[in-house]
Amino acid sequence: MKRYLSLIAMALFAVAGAAHGHTRVQKSEPANNSTITQLPKNVVLAFSAAVQLTALTLQKGDGKAQDLGPLPKAAVKEISVPMPAVGAGNYIIKWRAAGDDGHVMSGKVLFTVAAGAAASKAQ
Amino acid sequence: MSVDLVSVVVRALGFIAMFQAAGTVVFVALFGQFLSAADAPVRRLGHRSALLAIALVVLYQLLGAARMTGEFSGLADLDMQLLSLSSNVGVANGLRLFGLLLIAGAVTRNHPGWMIATVTGASLVAASYAITGHTAGDPQRWLLAPLLLIHLWVVAFWFGSLWPLLLVSEQETTPVTTAVIERFSALATWLVPGIAVAGVLMAIALLPDIKALFLPYGQLLLVKAAGFAVLLGLAALNKWRLGPAIALGEGGALRSFRRSVLLEYTLICGVLIATAVMTGYFSPEP
Repeated sequence: MKRYLSLIAMALFAVAGAAHGHTRVQKSEPANNSTITQLPKNVVLAFSAAVQLTALTLQKGDGKAQDLGPLPKAAVKEISVPMPAVGAGNYIIKWRAAGDDGHVMSGKVLFTVAAGAAASKAQ
Repeated sequence: MSVDLVSVVVRALGFIAMFQAAGTVVFVALFGQFLSAADAPVRRLGHRSALLAIALVVLYQLLGAARMTGEFSGLADLDMQLLSLSSNVGVANGLRLFGLLLIAGAVTRNHPGWMIATVTGASLVAASYAITGHTAGDPQRWLLAPLLLIHLWVVAFWFGSLWPLLLVSEQETTPVTTAVIERFSALATWLVPGIAVAGVLMAIALLPDIKALFLPYGQLLLVKAAGFAVLLGLAALNKWRLGPAIALGEGGALRSFRRSVLLEYTLICGVLIATAVMTGYFSPEP
């Protein structure tokens, strides 16, 4: 009986492997927790599924967040928006999006801009 | 206070009011024939719960736009409000509102026709949960949607009957109180295990593996399971000890019964709050 029940449980977990979770950022530019020596031309976020992005901001440390954009009007799997000229420091890109299951999701990408990178962008 | 926190509080209170409204409808449909003095107070409870739930559903829908922007200023953002309205959540909230309006408008009227309207309303409220959330976007929706509906209906029956049971115990005669408690307990004995069976099957289908139980979604699931186990103990106490004691007219039995029902009610509120946080803000997958 115990073996029979564990077989059922294993079969159900195997089927459940295909289940969808919440959408997340699979890849980003700048990469999460990275230190960049050269500023990218664009901020790029690649999601695991198409989402309707509703907010995207860039914040330096505890400073004021600045909106990034323009945001696409439709659901997309990847978004690319111009990277503003920023100085050296620690930054957070925060995003919010509505998924197809109706949930509002949010996330962030942390990165550090090295001192030399900011200077090279400014020249 | 963050918009996410306000939203989860409104969502949790909405759960409690909605389950109370839908559950009162179920209680009236099942046990209304036994009631006399408690009939009007029980129906008023359903009416007021439905009105409160309507206000909370509207507020939660409006807060959806604010959550999308991450700031309360999103409340005034027409584009976000339209986006939120046209999403699955918007459709589900619309269905909930319609169902709750049916309950609020019909539950105080003691007539079979109006009862059909209230049961339809409660069904719409329950069905609304199957068109949004984790189960709606899952490839195994064919399995999860019926399980969710069974889960919700039984929770509504159980939770929604507790307050009416208190009113019955306060306002009806001992024979009527005993008859209602006996019938409620007999039904609950068969139905309440359905909450656990449906809940466990949904958890198995939604969680990717056993390790997911140690993530926030899984941990809240375990909190719910622990709360459910305590509730089963209280329900057993009511069925096997306090129900028969009331029937025998034992001194203090009614007071103990009410205390036990109040504790059950409080615990289920806790489980509903855990559910609101779990389903609104965490994913079964890492």
